[in-house]
Amino acid sequence: MQPSPPAANRSPLSRSRRTIALWADKPLWMLIPCALALIVIVFLPVIATLYLSILDLDISTLREWVTAPIIGLANFAAAFESNNVLGVSALQSLGVSLGFSLLTTAAVTPIGILAAIAAHRHFRGRGIVRAIFLIPYVIPTFAVALLARIMFLNNTGFVPQVLAALGLSSIDTYWLIGPNAFWALTFTDIWATWPFIYLMVLAGLQTVPREHFEAATIDGAGPFRKLFGIVLPQLRNVLALAVLLSTLNHFGNFTLAFVMFSSPPPDSAAVLPLATYFYAFTSFEYGLASAIAVLTMVVLIVPGYFYIRMTRIANRIE
Amino acid sequence: MTTLQSPSESARKATKDQHVPASTRGRRWKPQDVDRMLPAWISRLVVIACLGAVLIPVGYMLLLSVTPDSKVALGEVGFTNLAFGNYVTMWAEAPLASGLLNTILIAGTSSLLSVLLGSLAAYPLARWKFRGQKTFLYSLIGTQTVPGTTILLPLFVIFSWIQTVVGIQFIGSYHAIILTYMTFGLPLSTWLMVNYMRTIPRELEEAAFVDGCTRVSALFRVILPLAAPAMVVAFVFAFLVGWNDVLFASVLTRSETHTLAVAVEQFANNAAGTGIPLYGQLMAAGVVSSVPVVLLYLLLQRRMVQGLSAGSMTGV
Repeated sequence: MQPSPPAANRSPLSRSRRTIALWADKPLWMLIPCALALIVIVFLPVIATLYLSILDLDISTLREWVTAPIIGLANFAAAFESNNVLGVSALQSLGVSLGFSLLTTAAVTPIGILAAIAAHRHFRGRGIVRAIFLIPYVIPTFAVALLARIMFLNNTGFVPQVLAALGLSSIDTYWLIGPNAFWALTFTDIWATWPFIYLMVLAGLQTVPREHFEAATIDGAGPFRKLFGIVLPQLRNVLALAVLLSTLNHFGNFTLAFVMFSSPPPDSAAVLPLATYFYAFTSFEYGLASAIAVLTMVVLIVPGYFYIRMTRIANRIE
Repeated sequence: MTTLQSPSESARKATKDQHVPASTRGRRWKPQDVDRMLPAWISRLVVIACLGAVLIPVGYMLLLSVTPDSKVALGEVGFTNLAFGNYVTMWAEAPLASGLLNTILIAGTSSLLSVLLGSLAAYPLARWKFRGQKTFLYSLIGTQTVPGTTILLPLFVIFSWIQTVVGIQFIGSYHAIILTYMTFGLPLSTWLMVNYMRTIPRELEEAAFVDGCTRVSALFRVILPLAAPAMVVAFVFAFLVGWNDVLFASVLTRSETHTLAVAVEQFANNAAGTGIPLYGQLMAAGVVSSVPVVLLYLLLQRRMVQGLSAGSMTGV
C-alpha cells in the first residue's frame, strides 16, 4: 500500500493543491462509529466479565450491580465444586469442552483434506459435488440440531435404527441423555463442520503451482508422495490456521448443544458455553456464570493469540 | 586397475538418465495424472462417501418434513403417506410467521448498518496509513476469537443497567438486538470492504477530487458503487449472523420480537413435550429455516466461498 499517491511520475500541475490536501488529511473520524460499536458491544463486556466474576451478583442485585459486594474468588471456588445446581463442576465442563473441540477437530481435519483433494481435480459433475459438500456447513446450526434431536431418538430415530441393524448397539440406546450425549454431540458437530476444513484446503490447493507436480512426476513420485511430500508441506500455514480456527469455533459452539439438549444439558455434554448460559439464564447466578466465562477466556488466550499472530496483518500493511 | 566403463559410455548413460521421460523408467504416468494426489479409486470413494454422508441426513430431513407427526413419533418413516400439510399447519402451531418477519426486520436492518459502518471504517483503513491502524485491524480479528457466551451476560447486565438509569425498556426491543447483530457483523464487513477497496485504483478518486468531490462524496459516489459486489457479500454474511443466532436472541428478545431461530428452538422444546411430538412440523420448520440460506450460498457460491476464506484466513 502506498502512503500517499505516487506524485513523482506526474507533473505537479496535474494535481491541484486541494487534491493534495485531501490526500494529506486522513478522515479517521470514519472509524469512530465502527470502533464505538465494537467497544460497547464487545470490549466493554469482556472487561465487565472480569469484574462481574468477583461480585456476589444474582437476579435480586442485578439492578444495582455497580454496588454489589465484592467477594473475591468465591465464585471461582464455587464453579469448581461438583455439588452445584448444574451437577457438573467447571473442571468437568472444561474437560468436556476440550474433549469435544479436540476430538471434532481431529476428525474433521483428515475428512476435510481428503474431500478437498478428491474434489480438486476435474471430473464430470464436480460443480454439483462441490455445491453439495457445502450444504452441512451452511444449514443453520439450530436446524442441524433439530435434525439431530430426531435422528438420535431411541427406538424411533434413524441412527439407533441403523446401528441396531448393523448389530452395533441396541435400538433402545439413549443418545440424547446420559453419557452417550457427548458422542451424539460430537458426531453431529463433525457432520456439520468438516466442510470448513474442506473449503480452506480447497482454496489452498489452488495456490500450489502445477510445475511442482510436474517436477515430482518426472522424478517418479506417486500420488501419495506428491500429497505428503509436496502438497501438505505447502499447505502447512493454511492448515494450521484452519485447524486453530476450527478448534476455537468448536470450543465456543453454543447453539448446537443448546438446541440439541436444551438447558440444563446432560452432564456428558455440559460444555463450557452451556454451563455459562445455564448459570446466567437458568439459575440466575450471574457472578458464578461470569467466573466460568472468565475461565473460558483464559483457556482461549493462547490459541486466540496464535490465531491473531498467524493472520499476519502486520506483514500486509507494510 | 580395470575401467568398467569407458568415459564416453558413462557420459552417454548420464545424459540418457536426464532426458528420457520417467515413463520409460518403470512407473508409467499419463498427463492427467500429473496433479493426482490420491489414487483414482480412493478419490472416487471419498467423493461417494462424502456425498452419502451429506445427502442421507439432508434427504432424511426433507422426508421427515413431509411425514405426519404420528408416523415420525412411531419411527415409521417412508415414502408412503406423505403429508405436505406440515408446511401449512406449522405456521399455526408456533409463532413462526412473526419470527420470520422479525428476523427479516432485525437481520435486514443490522446487516445494512453493518455494511454501512463497515464501509465507512474500511475507507481510511484501505487508503491511508496511520498510527493505530494495526491495532484496529488486530482488534477486528480479535473479536472473532471471543465466544458469544462470554459476552452475553455482561452485555445483558450493561443493557439492564442502561434500562434502570435511563428508564426505558431496552432489553426485548428491536434496538438492542439490532445493535448487537450489527456489531457482530462489523468485523467481517469491514475486512471484506478493506480487501476490496485496496483493489480499486486511487486514480478514480483523484479524478473525483479534481471534479470537486470531498472524501465523503468520493466514497459514496465513486468507491462504494464500484465495491457493490463486496457489499453484497458483506450484507449476506451480516444477515446470516441474525438469521442463525439463537444465543443472543434467546436473551435479548421477548416473545413479540423473537426471531425465527428462537421461535423454532422454543417450538422444538414444546414439540417434544406434547402427547404426539410434532416432529414432522418441526422438521418442516427446520427446512424452511435452511432453504433460503442454502439457496443464497448456491447462487453466490463463488463469492460466498471467497468471503468465507477472507473472513477466516485474513492475511494468508
